[in-house]
Amino acid sequence: MKTLVVGLGNTILRDDGVGIYVARSLAGCLRGAADVREAELAGLALMEMLKGYDRAFIVDAIQLEGEEPGSVFRMTPGDIRVTPRLASFHDIDLVTALELGKRLEFRMPREVVIFGVQVQDALTLGEGCTGPVSGVIPALVSEIAGEITGEAYERISIPLSDRRNAGA
Amino acid sequence: MASGKAVDAVYKVKIPAAAAKLRELYYMAHFMHSHTAHFYALAAPDFVVGPDAPPAERNILGLINKVGIDIGKEVIRQREITQLIQQMIGGRATHPVWNLPGGVTRALASEDLEKIKAFVPGLIQFGELGLKLFDDLVLKNKAYLDLILGDGYELVTNYMGLVDDKNRVTFYDGTVRVVSPEGAEIDRYREAEYLDHVAEHVEPYTYLKFPYLKKLGWQGFKEGSGTSIFQVAPLARFNAAEGMATPKAQAAYERLFATFGRKPVHKLMAMHWARLIELLYAAERIAELVKDEEILDPNVRVIPSTTPSEGIGIVEAPRGTLTHHYVTDSRGIVTRANLIVGTTNNNAPISMAVKKAAMKFVNARGEVKEGLLNMVEMAFRIYDPCFSCATHSLPGQMPITIEINNARGETIRTVSR
Repeated sequence: MKTLVVGLGNTILRDDGVGIYVARSLAGCLRGAADVREAELAGLALMEMLKGYDRAFIVDAIQLEGEEPGSVFRMTPGDIRVTPRLASFHDIDLVTALELGKRLEFRMPREVVIFGVQVQDALTLGEGCTGPVSGVIPALVSEIAGEITGEAYERISIPLSDRRNAGA
Repeated sequence: MASGKAVDAVYKVKIPAAAAKLRELYYMAHFMHSHTAHFYALAAPDFVVGPDAPPAERNILGLINKVGIDIGKEVIRQREITQLIQQMIGGRATHPVWNLPGGVTRALASEDLEKIKAFVPGLIQFGELGLKLFDDLVLKNKAYLDLILGDGYELVTNYMGLVDDKNRVTFYDGTVRVVSPEGAEIDRYREAEYLDHVAEHVEPYTYLKFPYLKKLGWQGFKEGSGTSIFQVAPLARFNAAEGMATPKAQAAYERLFATFGRKPVHKLMAMHWARLIELLYAAERIAELVKDEEILDPNVRVIPSTTPSEGIGIVEAPRGTLTHHYVTDSRGIVTRANLIVGTTNNNAPISMAVKKAAMKFVNARGEVKEGLLNMVEMAFRIYDPCFSCATHSLPGQMPITIEINNARGETIRTVSR
């Protein structure tokens, strides 16, 4: 199965870079089991990137009200209205991007999983994540690597639907 | 590009000719990709699928259902090519780390130039395709033509844009020219003089400022003759200039003004048409630049030798005139910065255009026409605004709510998504 990992973010806006840092760690440990890319933008550019893959994992920063920084939410493309980069009105959203790819007869991933990491500070200019977000990166890297390679891992992500059901 | 020019000015350095040409080549590819995304993904569905179509259909998928898969594939392909050109020149298509004080980090490889040359015919055909589609789908459709020519989307202001020494539209470098609502030149300035010509009004309800022409003073949100408000972005650039520097774009420019029968054109929907003409211009300009032998010159950077202090850079961004102003200490560390981005320049016009559209599409009894929210959103979309750039706010959805007030100021109806 041809797999792509995309880390989205901006490494000079503190926790906004978390997706990039996760991607960089994965690039070093996947040993060719998946392609790993870094990107700053979603929309049409992301659709072009996903072409030709069977499965994709996307890691992005997220800011949900009332959640602890460093919490990781597991989402489907249908959930993406909660991550601004994947639901920008300056470009097409991820659902539309995936549909567009299929409509244009490109081979698009059958499975797309989005990991959203709750940020503490994604607006201050600066490199490196805050403590709670940095702290979760190794476990998230292990979870994504485990999903790709089939090796054992501890799941730390919470399905977004569970959060909604909890009424948080 | 504006920041690149500003740091050149901070270090008082004149960049080599090849560096300026490479920056412009990169920038033309950027314009093509930006205008392509805006027209095909964001603006065209309003016309092709219909302004009052449900949002689920009024998107690029609905557009492809109408125009066909082949055109859809071509849009994606040419957009990808323009991204690739930027990557070949600057290392990355987005956020390149390539512009430095005094020039750029690397020269263009001759094999990359040959690849770009091979893309040129397709890019020009793609520019022409956009204008043909606009002709067939919009101008030949009476309902859409009425929408363009009607008074729901009209705003009479001054217009600003960068021009070359023959007053033709230019994006990377030139002189800022401003014309009045009647089309007369009323202001003209170079980068270093911008603070003498533009000021920014502040309103308590927003931290996004409202630029205006300084010598006319802030006069409120007033349109018409004598207003100090100006517009930027494609139609404003066309109004502020006297032509285009490439032949196919010039012919299209003349046709646009002939169609409206006047200059300046105040009908806002013409912005989409102007944007497509600029897309063709950018393709033609790429064709010119890749033929210029100097573009392969390895001398692409002058190492600055002066103590840095202060500098201003101005370019035309896809969304309008963009000014970067930096003040640094003697080490080159920025101590003060002011950015006036295209969307900020258009802040007052956007506010006024949205209000006019809302008032046009609500009747005296407070009844709203079908598709009101989108018809109002279209007035906003014309400008291709980037409010996340202008305000650093990323709500992730269009936060649009329309409150209809009666003559006593009481809200009688609220419409929201």
